[in-house]
Amino acid sequence: ATLKISHVRPQGAIIDQEINAFASEVNKATDGDLKIKIYAASALGDYTSVQERISVGAIDMAVQPAAAAADRKMQISSFPYIAGNWEQARKIYGPNGAIYNTMKELYAKQDITMLAAYPVYFGGIALNREAVAAGDPNVAKGIKVRVPGIKSFQLTGDALGYISSPIPFSEAFTAVQTGVVDGVIGSGAEGYYASFRDVTKTYIPINTHFEVWYMIINSETLADMDADDRQALQQAALAFEANRWERAKSDQAAYEQKLADNGATIVRLTDDELEATAQKVRTDVWPQILEDVGADWGQSILDQAAN
Amino acid sequence: MEKLFRYTLAALISTVAGFQFLQVITRYVFETPIMGLEEVAMIPTLWLYILGAVNASREDTQIRANVLEIFLSTERARHILLVVSETCSLVISIWLTSWAWNYFRYALRVDKETPTLYLPTLIYESALFFGLLLMTLYTAWHLLGHLRALLRGGAGLDTPIDHEHPHTSELDEFKVLERSEDKSHG
Amino acid sequence: MVEIALLAFLVLIFLLSLGVPLPYCFGAGLMVMTLVGDATMKGMMLWGFSQLTNPVLLAIPLFVFAGTIMSVSGIAASLLKFVNVFVGRVRGGLGVVASVSCAIIGAISGSGLTGIAAIGPLLIPEMERKGYPRAYATALIANSSVLGLLIPPSVTMIVFGWVTETSILASFLATLGPGLLIMINFAIVNLVMARKFPLVLDQQIEFGEMMKQAGRNTVHAIPALLMPVIILGGIYGGVMTPTEAAAVAVIYALPVGFMIYKGLTWQSFLESGKESATAVGAILIMILFSLMLSQIFVMEDIPQALVEAIFEITTDKTLLLLLVTLFLFLIGMVVNDITAIILTAPLLMPLMEALGVSPIQFAAIMGVTTAMGGVTPPYASILYLGARIGNVKFTEIIKPAMLLLLFGYLPVVALVLIWPELSEFIPQMMGY
Ligand code: NA
Ligand code: NA
Repeated sequence: ATLKISHVRPQGAIIDQEINAFASEVNKATDGDLKIKIYAASALGDYTSVQERISVGAIDMAVQPAAAAADRKMQISSFPYIAGNWEQARKIYGPNGAIYNTMKELYAKQDITMLAAYPVYFGGIALNREAVAAGDPNVAKGIKVRVPGIKSFQLTGDALGYISSPIPFSEAFTAVQTGVVDGVIGSGAEGYYASFRDVTKTYIPINTHFEVWYMIINSETLADMDADDRQALQQAALAFEANRWERAKSDQAAYEQKLADNGATIVRLTDDELEATAQKVRTDVWPQILEDVGADWGQSILDQAAN
Repeated sequence: MEKLFRYTLAALISTVAGFQFLQVITRYVFETPIMGLEEVAMIPTLWLYILGAVNASREDTQIRANVLEIFLSTERARHILLVVSETCSLVISIWLTSWAWNYFRYALRVDKETPTLYLPTLIYESALFFGLLLMTLYTAWHLLGHLRALLRGGAGLDTPIDHEHPHTSELDEFKVLERSEDKSHG
Repeated sequence: MVEIALLAFLVLIFLLSLGVPLPYCFGAGLMVMTLVGDATMKGMMLWGFSQLTNPVLLAIPLFVFAGTIMSVSGIAASLLKFVNVFVGRVRGGLGVVASVSCAIIGAISGSGLTGIAAIGPLLIPEMERKGYPRAYATALIANSSVLGLLIPPSVTMIVFGWVTETSILASFLATLGPGLLIMINFAIVNLVMARKFPLVLDQQIEFGEMMKQAGRNTVHAIPALLMPVIILGGIYGGVMTPTEAAAVAVIYALPVGFMIYKGLTWQSFLESGKESATAVGAILIMILFSLMLSQIFVMEDIPQALVEAIFEITTDKTLLLLLVTLFLFLIGMVVNDITAIILTAPLLMPLMEALGVSPIQFAAIMGVTTAMGGVTPPYASILYLGARIGNVKFTEIIKPAMLLLLFGYLPVVALVLIWPELSEFIPQMMGY
């Protein structure tokens, strides 16, 4: 059988190369039983509609962020400031981590099986101008930033002292270029380099959130495979995941460097500043989103993550 | 019905313009963009699109390429052609509507929400099914009309088609432009 | 699967020529792909509908609505007087007024119909009085009306940018250079043609009197001239996105139409709203199903197969561009501008990428060739509207219209093909 897999980055991007490697591994391990056809650059639609189409079985697989439209609990995946560094991140988002297991359960309810979690980067802020008091969240910066239409990002932007302006992704680049807004929140060095490098004058790695994508597959498609093929696919997914955890941290550094080489100033925060920022967001933002996803349920996961 | 569509569509397009205008004002003038405004605006926007399409079916001004019409000479020939094309349209429209019904049931079951205000997306997602259903009914209605005209017969059917003043569906949609008369020269 | 895609396309074209509405023609394509081929409709409605939530699309009805309000409200008279002050007294000047005024209207409206609708009722009788043949005057204004689609804002460029994921602002600017050149070209062609007509000239007036008139007419035209300044200044000056600018244009046009030019009434406001909404509904329902069809094509790798098949025949860039243009011209004969873009842009984009044609030049090629469709029969909405407004027979208007097309329009199409800078210069100047 041929499985269609979608992802959100252009052909040749790191993720594209890794999925290609995954695809040939699967093909080899199943003696050509399973072929994987890759659709890069959201050719099959944005991740929200792709997730829904995987759920109904129209598309087989994807590697992409979790979409919370069908289940607001999935926002737990992009909750700001849960992990402070890569070690914590691996514990929380890596195999059998608190969020890892939670997401697996949530996907299952949508007839989707999560095969792997794919760490991408810690989020930051890209500006088309110089930064203002980047390390002090209590200073109102008077800087308009584009935020995606997701509540946690909007609240985080506000908590950090920026003016959160919801502008759709399709208009975001133009909006930054013409100056409708002065910057962007919601992505990280790799994402900004992919889509906003020409308008990024300043990059602040402020760790807004931990970006993690998931390799997902329609549960029925997986169940219908013969056992050997299924086994091989799952093995390859685990290898894909393990490989990613080895590379993610250095890839992030590499993309920050690429932004710098492209002319951006990287504004590094001290550990104290990062901690103060995290504290402010946890105090301002967490209670509101916890309320939305169910306070008890959400808190229990945050507690697991903290241990 | 004309009045209903006129008021509804004018109200929808004005509302939609108002929301976008508000977005600019709150961001540019007051520097405090309203969170979730774009989610609310999505509701009248999608209903505007779909009801606009329904009205196009009602007025029989869906986009067509009337290429064959130049080769026809009488109203009878035109009605026969329309019976053929409307029958095709009806079959296709029913098929599309059945898939939209499928989607409607899915949306009903999954019960999705918008990302910041948690409005049920069914409010606008349902538009597609109801819109296509109405379009199907109007197509059937027009088909019936052409059949009846053919069966009734009469001299009207032998009227030659005016090839000197052809029209396209686009023009039927912009009657208001045509009426813009010379206002200063009387 | 390529054979089935071809079958789907043939069925689509067949139904289209029977006069089946376009949305259903695309629907039939979907039926062929899923009932004859093994593509699936599962999740397709969901995907298609989610595409419509893109706010960029909203700019289409809003720019059309704003243009319609302005046109209905009677700004044309003030614009005509304004332009007339500068060129009206030259021999053949009134024809120049026609093409320049259509260009200005084009900067207010996003549609190709507005120019002839707004200018025609005033200028056609006036030109006839001065000695131009009525059919010629009508053809000239109808041809110039096409500028509405080339001078930004433009609904065709919004659709183009959206389906090909090209910057809409860059696409807007891509057709600006060719559009201005076409305007100038029409003016020149007209001055040449005017030598043959027995024209009556306005009496020459003194310079002082002329300046007084200029002042008076300019003041009256200012609210109309401000509109493109607000729209384009707002967009390129970083105040608002194109969609928001379209909304601001509507909000601005209302008081101007009701209170300054006074042509707008409650009834014509309602009518404009209804008709703009219906026009956009008809466009978007067609887009919806065409997108589903091209999504199925993408899932089945048809565009790549198409590019490979074409490259089997030839890889010569100039020849292919020429063929593409000819193809677009033929498409433009039977469908309107937006339909032509929807039908062809997603299929041609991979080919253009493979040929190394920049998205901006491609935008200009698409823009000028599909806009021309409005004046090429048998499906020639802009020409038909002209014939109705000018009250001339279609057979009379066709000859002068084709003459203007041949000498005024086609040379610019050729330039767009062989001279990328024509379309790329202005966008590059603005940083795209
Ligand atoms: Na325009
Ligand atoms: Na045409």
